[in-house]
Amino acid sequence: MATPKSEKDLHLPLSRVKTIMKSSPDVEAVGPEPLYLVTKVTELFVMDLAKRAHKNSNANFLEYKHIADIVQEDDTLDFLREIMPRKITVRQFKEMMAKKAAKNGDDSSEDSSEDSSEDSSSNNEQE
Amino acid sequence: MAEKLEDLNLPLTVVTRIVKEALPSGVSISKEARTGLAKAASVFVLYVTSAATNIVRNKKRKALTGQDVIDAMKDIEFDRFVEPLGEALEHYKTMASARKSASMKKKDEQEDTEVIEDDWILLRLEFKMYSGA
Repeated sequence: MATPKSEKDLHLPLSRVKTIMKSSPDVEAVGPEPLYLVTKVTELFVMDLAKRAHKNSNANFLEYKHIADIVQEDDTLDFLREIMPRKITVRQFKEMMAKKAAKNGDDSSEDSSEDSSEDSSSNNEQE
Repeated sequence: MAEKLEDLNLPLTVVTRIVKEALPSGVSISKEARTGLAKAASVFVLYVTSAATNIVRNKKRKALTGQDVIDAMKDIEFDRFVEPLGEALEHYKTMASARKSASMKKKDEQEDTEVIEDDWILLRLEFKMYSGA
């Protein structure tokens, strides 16, 4: 008696989701019913986030930054901000630091000019 | 409570499959995006669990129910998931009761078999007695 696989079957492994749930403090027993729903909603969440990131990308290539942008701009995704920061290039970082130093330089008498020898290939984005 | 670090991650292949099914065909996804989504999913599990656990504690109960997970969606401002989760819960309950009645049916059938066998043994014994063996 073959059971047809409906779209409602889950992809994510229940045991793994259960392990994650149990790592949360104050969680006692996790029954099959809440486990099923948490697994289900996590799948919905991944699909939702992926679709939004794709809309954000305007192309057929979905990259990390498309997701990071959404996370940083949507307050309901605040819980993800630490693990999905926007990535900046080394040049942008140096510019930020220079701006900060210049601002501090206004308050003190320190000479805050930096030796800006940027190489154009510097890029701290991981592939 | 020694969990290996990888146990707190969701499998990348499965996450990739979910993403591919959600997006139109022909879209490629960078490895970094996939890894990011997998991590986001793990964090989301914790986030939902924490919200649902709060609800349970406020109601002075201990065990999480499916409804608690649904109610948690409103607390974390994911109202858009309330309806699909409601349907999923219905579906789950249907599956669970179908499984239960199937296993009860199986149990009944096993009992029937035992009863028939017992009757058969009794019949044979009676036969032996009457045939004066």
